[in-house]
Amino acid sequence: MKREELISKWLDNDLNDQELQAFKNLEDYDDLVKLNAGLQAFKADDYDTSKELENVLSKIKSTKTQTSTHWIKPFMRVAAILAVCFSLYYYTTTLDTTITTAVAQKTTIELPDASRVSLNAQSLLAFNKNHWKKEREVELEGEAFFKVAKGSTFKVITKSGIVTVYGTQFNVKQRDNYFEVICYEGLVGVTHNSQEIKLKPGDSFLIIDGKTIAKEKENRTTPSWLNNESTFKSLPYKTIIAEFERQYGVDITLINIDSTQLFTGSFPHDNLDLALKNIAISLNATYSKTNNTIILKRE
Amino acid sequence: MEKQLHENICEERLFSSIFNKYSKDLHNFLYYKFGDLLNPKDKVQEAFIKLWQNCAKISPDKAKSFVFTTANNLMLNEVAHQKVVLKHQQTKPKHYTNESPEFLMQESEYNTKLQKALANLTNAQREAFMMNRVEGKRFKEIAEILDISTKAVEKRIYGALEKLRKDIKEL
Repeated sequence: MKREELISKWLDNDLNDQELQAFKNLEDYDDLVKLNAGLQAFKADDYDTSKELENVLSKIKSTKTQTSTHWIKPFMRVAAILAVCFSLYYYTTTLDTTITTAVAQKTTIELPDASRVSLNAQSLLAFNKNHWKKEREVELEGEAFFKVAKGSTFKVITKSGIVTVYGTQFNVKQRDNYFEVICYEGLVGVTHNSQEIKLKPGDSFLIIDGKTIAKEKENRTTPSWLNNESTFKSLPYKTIIAEFERQYGVDITLINIDSTQLFTGSFPHDNLDLALKNIAISLNATYSKTNNTIILKRE
Repeated sequence: MEKQLHENICEERLFSSIFNKYSKDLHNFLYYKFGDLLNPKDKVQEAFIKLWQNCAKISPDKAKSFVFTTANNLMLNEVAHQKVVLKHQQTKPKHYTNESPEFLMQESEYNTKLQKALANLTNAQREAFMMNRVEGKRFKEIAEILDISTKAVEKRIYGALEKLRKDIKEL
């Protein structure tokens, strides 16, 4: 038998008597035995299995309280996500509903309590659906006609003043330096400069450039603009021009015309030529039209 | 369902039996592979605690390879490719009472050489060789522990022996 094979068998403790004899006769037998004896000194530390097991088990038991906190981390994650989702939901649902109209556009909105609002051109209306049951409040920039269902106080908040009502029909117009409220039915309170004025049907409240202007009784039951017509009684000409620009989306340039003179009359919203004639004739003015620009000129 | 529950390592009795079966082999394997500086006992403990923490996910037949792999990785995380020096047990009982000083010196010289030569072996060679020589394990048992073939074990051990003898002669 070869030397290598004998050594291998010796290593594996697999020598039979005959082979052992042959192995002992190998020239490096002494060397191998010496090496083997020397190796024994490098034996691993004693390992007490039962003692170590006790250690491990006691460690496991003491860390058990720690492992029970394992669920907190994922739980916190889920909670954080839910919190974000909820706040997002809360934020979006409590957000004000905002409706705007562009130039030459009108719209009618139904509020949560079946009150109706007609919004004139270039106006903004904002209200909060969620707070509606507690407070009936809308914010308004521009002009709108309200038909308020009966119920608790209904407030229209504008930059120029607050209109408080109880179930009525009224028109609010708030433009640059212009604030007008006309009551058509019921009772309307207008708070302006922290003073409240009560309006009965037919009464109106008008402020132009900070000055209160008295107006005669209104006989109509709804504002004229709901019928696609703008009507003016003794109002500065610039007010009419501003309204005209809003209804038709045009720019009007005045030449030789005093924009503060008072004007009484009306113009329709659906016929530009007729409307121009209406506002020009009474001033003896001529008009010319290029694209979106209209020039009104008095000779 | 019942079978699964029965085979769960989370049961302390089953966990203990697995520990009793493998922990010593694991300890010796780590000791011979990485030396005693990196606390093989602690690594065994850590590996088994990890086994317990993941007991629901590991079936009993995977437990052995799990603790071996885990402990080995724990070691590798710490070992900075340094040479593994096995500790020479000073408390070795004396076999001879009438040793001459010359013989004592020769013996200590030989042991130093052996220690250096052992450090020069590869980790794979040393773990197999020492388990065979010192722990008296047969090739087949080592093959099972290391999850390799008996032939590979034989090759490693024989290679280790040859290398040791060559190194000792040269030193």
